[in-house]
Amino acid sequence: MATMAIYRRRRRMLHHGILIALQLLLVIIVMLPFLWMFSVSIKPANEPFSIPPRLWPENPTLDNYESALYPEFGRYFLNSVIVSVLTMILSISVGLLAAYGFGRFNFPGLRALLIAIILAQMFPIATMIIPLYKIMNSLGLINTYAALVLAYLTLTLPVSIWMLRGFIRNIPPDLEEAAMVDGCTRLQAFWRLVVPLARPGIAATAVWIAVVTWQEFLFALAFTTTRDMRTISVGMSDFQGQFGIRYGELMASSVMVSVPIIVLFFFLQRYFVAGLTAGATKG
Amino acid sequence: MTSTQQTQRLDTVGSRPRRYSPSSDLRLALLFIVPAVVLVAILMYYPMGRAFQESLYTTPKTSWLSVDPSQVYVGLEHYTNLVNDDVFKQVLGNSLKWTVTVVLFQNLIGLAAAVLLDQKLPGRGIMRALVLLPWVLPGVVNAILWRFMYDPQLGLINSLLIGAGITADKTPWLAQPSTALWALIVAAIWKGFPFSTVMYLAALQGVDHEQLEAAHIDGANGAQRFRHITIPAISGIIRLNLLLTTIWTFNYFDLIWVTTRGGPLKSTHIFPTIIYNTGFGEFGNFGKAAAYGVIAVLVLLVFAVLYLRELRRSEVL
Repeated sequence: MATMAIYRRRRRMLHHGILIALQLLLVIIVMLPFLWMFSVSIKPANEPFSIPPRLWPENPTLDNYESALYPEFGRYFLNSVIVSVLTMILSISVGLLAAYGFGRFNFPGLRALLIAIILAQMFPIATMIIPLYKIMNSLGLINTYAALVLAYLTLTLPVSIWMLRGFIRNIPPDLEEAAMVDGCTRLQAFWRLVVPLARPGIAATAVWIAVVTWQEFLFALAFTTTRDMRTISVGMSDFQGQFGIRYGELMASSVMVSVPIIVLFFFLQRYFVAGLTAGATKG
Repeated sequence: MTSTQQTQRLDTVGSRPRRYSPSSDLRLALLFIVPAVVLVAILMYYPMGRAFQESLYTTPKTSWLSVDPSQVYVGLEHYTNLVNDDVFKQVLGNSLKWTVTVVLFQNLIGLAAAVLLDQKLPGRGIMRALVLLPWVLPGVVNAILWRFMYDPQLGLINSLLIGAGITADKTPWLAQPSTALWALIVAAIWKGFPFSTVMYLAALQGVDHEQLEAAHIDGANGAQRFRHITIPAISGIIRLNLLLTTIWTFNYFDLIWVTTRGGPLKSTHIFPTIIYNTGFGEFGNFGKAAAYGVIAVLVLLVFAVLYLRELRRSEVL
């Protein structure tokens, strides 16, 4: 009996040990490229790359950040912020209205429209980019924020509607009904009750939109041709052309581009995970 | 007060509330959805229709930027040309390899990581946060980072492999047709699997613990419990995830464009990169690019329909 218990405990410890080892492996796989990126970004240009690689340079320096921070960088950054924020505002306000319409009303035609919107989410950007380019071009919108915001709506609006609908369906309709009995109109009930209650969903959707628009590349590449209008992701790929294999500067600018979105994401992460699953699981 | 009681109370209120009139309700519903429907129609369905139309025309090279180019109707010529085009066959093969491998491994690793992070181990909270990092990393940064990691002289991959004595030469991973696509597949899996992990982790929270407990008492081992209880319980999410990641992976652009532009020798061209290259690259052939695009849509439509069916089956649609 006693040996049995010891055996079992040993087995459990072994089991535990394997799990911890696997978890460590997972951390290494996930984190190694990040550590490498950071370590090269603070490595002086004259320090050679060694074999096997070292994760901390001998004389860490911020020189790479200084030389990567040339004037266009700020401009690209600002463009990305503007486009992301405008997309977020538009996508969430239009999406919230639609999510409420699709979540609360039940007509046969509505369902068909919702299906059409989900289907649109599957359209490959690459297929739409040429006709959209021609449309933007004929409207004189190439090299404007408007072109990018409109293009980014195609990426974000269907998902926003879907995610927000998941949240709204989890808000009990009793509250609005009670408010409407007390003389509120449907719109007032929506604005005063549903919108505040859907705040976690709005946050989740906003994070999703930020992650998507911050890194969007294809539309930005096709719809902007002047340096003034480049977003940070297209700017980054331009940097690659300029820096060639000066990886120190490239990694420094990579860190600077990634940090804002990673920080934002960490603050709002719990909302995001809830939002991701709200649409996909039964409410 | 329960909702049925409340409804009864509402019914007895002297004047019937507005929401009971279906016609005004329909008008209100339309009011809510009209902005979204109009935007989706104009920005997505109209361009999609134009892409179909575009694929039947050819645009003389000199006028590809003009507002109203003198297009020539060529019928299905672009399509018949594609069928005999070796590049098309290569793109089709690459897309297949790319999508199947990335989706498969992204989901397998994603599920394994989710099961691991579902265990009661120290540091679980921080791990769950860290594991999402690759997915948040901007795509272009990911591309530049991996191009660097694969650099034959300076890259981390070669110095690790040589340092560990696995390989002796400095392999130019992204510069030779035999390895480039596979190297990019690894990069795409690394960036994509965290998303699957989060989805599966959420799904695992919904697995019935009493059932697992009961199976444990009945002598089922961990693998059996996983196979017969956990997997069936999360199969809906697995199917949804497979379809969603298939659609996203098929549409991948930034990683390939920034690292190899489809080369060397077109070995890494998939649909989005060849479409961009054909339409906006040196030849500026919008008609042919649109034909590629239409074929891409038709392929994806199959997955989209399956996705819709799956949503309906899991009662969220």
